[in-house]
Amino acid sequence: MHVERRELFTLEQVSLVIDGRAILDDVNEHLHDGVATAVAGPSGSGKSTLLRLLNRLAEPTSGRVLFRGTDVRDLDVLELRRRAVLVAQRPVALTSDVSDEVRVAAPQLTDDDVRRLLERVSLDPDDHLGRDPGSLSGGELQRLCLARALAVDPEVLLLDEPTSALDPRSADAVDTVIRSLVASGLAVVLVSHDVLRAGRVADDIRVLHDGRVTARGPASSLDLEHELLNPPTDGHVHEVDDLRRHGDAHLPHDHPTDLTPEQP
Amino acid sequence: MTTIPSWAAVAVSGLLVLVAVAIASWQRLGISREIVVAALRALVQLVAIGAVLAWLFAHAGLAGALAWVLAMTFVAANESRRRGQGIPRAYRSALVGILVGTASTLGVLVVGGVISTQPQVLIPIGGMVVSGSMQAASLTLSSLRRSAIDNRPAVEAALSLGLPAHQAFAREMRTAVRTALIPTVDSTRVVGLISLPGTMTGLIIAGVDPLQAIRYQIIVMYMLLAAWAVSALVTARMAQGAMFDDAQRLVPVAA
Repeated sequence: MHVERRELFTLEQVSLVIDGRAILDDVNEHLHDGVATAVAGPSGSGKSTLLRLLNRLAEPTSGRVLFRGTDVRDLDVLELRRRAVLVAQRPVALTSDVSDEVRVAAPQLTDDDVRRLLERVSLDPDDHLGRDPGSLSGGELQRLCLARALAVDPEVLLLDEPTSALDPRSADAVDTVIRSLVASGLAVVLVSHDVLRAGRVADDIRVLHDGRVTARGPASSLDLEHELLNPPTDGHVHEVDDLRRHGDAHLPHDHPTDLTPEQP
Repeated sequence: MTTIPSWAAVAVSGLLVLVAVAIASWQRLGISREIVVAALRALVQLVAIGAVLAWLFAHAGLAGALAWVLAMTFVAANESRRRGQGIPRAYRSALVGILVGTASTLGVLVVGGVISTQPQVLIPIGGMVVSGSMQAASLTLSSLRRSAIDNRPAVEAALSLGLPAHQAFAREMRTAVRTALIPTVDSTRVVGLISLPGTMTGLIIAGVDPLQAIRYQIIVMYMLLAAWAVSALVTARMAQGAMFDDAQRLVPVAA
């Protein structure tokens, strides 16, 4: 089945230089609607900065960022941030009550709305309503932050290392919530240094090294560990087409590109 | 009236400086020289300011007194600026805060007929108001600077939900203004119990009846409450405007 994928974000020749150092270097990307796209890379590769360009918490030195075809600088920035909500790496509570927390940017929500949002992120309203967010575990707080983000009814969630601060079990719970949100039609762009985990959550992957995209393709057909450990040094972008759409695709390199065992 | 000390009496009090110097050298504190320099500086500065004030009181008139108070606000703003290092345009925020705090408070006192417009009243009272406004501005800037560094994740989390800067930064603004007001609220609460403040002390030494002296003191305390509050609020508002750019981003504030 071929589905026309609508373009969500477009980055055109985006570079960001701070104190003479290129955090991002001529990034050209198309991120699509309705899927989860992961930007994976080692720390310091520029992936969090890339995410912050999408909701204008950061500004490129050159190039431009488009949201559904419109330069983000031409959009009202508050509206942009409600359509593309960013959830930071370390969850921070802004209030001292779970219900206030969900309503922090959506005060019009009813109690029923709040309960539904908590259920959507797998938090039991009966257990959590009335509590201080400060008393929640890291994973619960991260999911509460997701509920707070969903409360403004965004078109896309921008997630910065959504699970890096969590133990494996809490991380799995957050990943499950993210998958269910994508399944319900919400687009997600997430950055992660944990490329294998990113591969499990995301449909599309971009691998970032030193501010440049070094590989892109569907999560199912990139050998992610290899990409992360062996970035091309010649400026070449390793591109893998979608195997699910093009079963006979020739893979332009000599190592296994999926996670099946290598033939002897 | 009680007698005002003669210059000879001042010279005798200089012996007390020698007491301090004797302790410093006996205990080998290494600050004997500094004590002497400080004592001499105090003498020169106070003689100079005494001469200037004498001239101002005789010749300045209302316009001269106001110009003097205005000059003090510029010096005070420069002092406050240091507390907000890293905050863009901190000098301007402090200056406007101190100016509005001083002008509004002095204005009410003058228009209400509470104090006279003679230079010998306006200048010392103005100095107290400027000094209070300056401390409020300094504490406000210092708190906002700390918040911009420590609370950046929370502020950006709020901005990332599409909240405008004034909402995303509301908690930090309240903290800043509250922090700035605590010293004056505390000193107002315990006035007379822990310390006899400057105004009534001076009046009492000059021979004024204590029950009259405290009236002045009450006015001064109330005036300072307003000056601190107005200055803190205006400085905070100005600083907030400078700390967020057009795209509702918290600008980098150096640690």
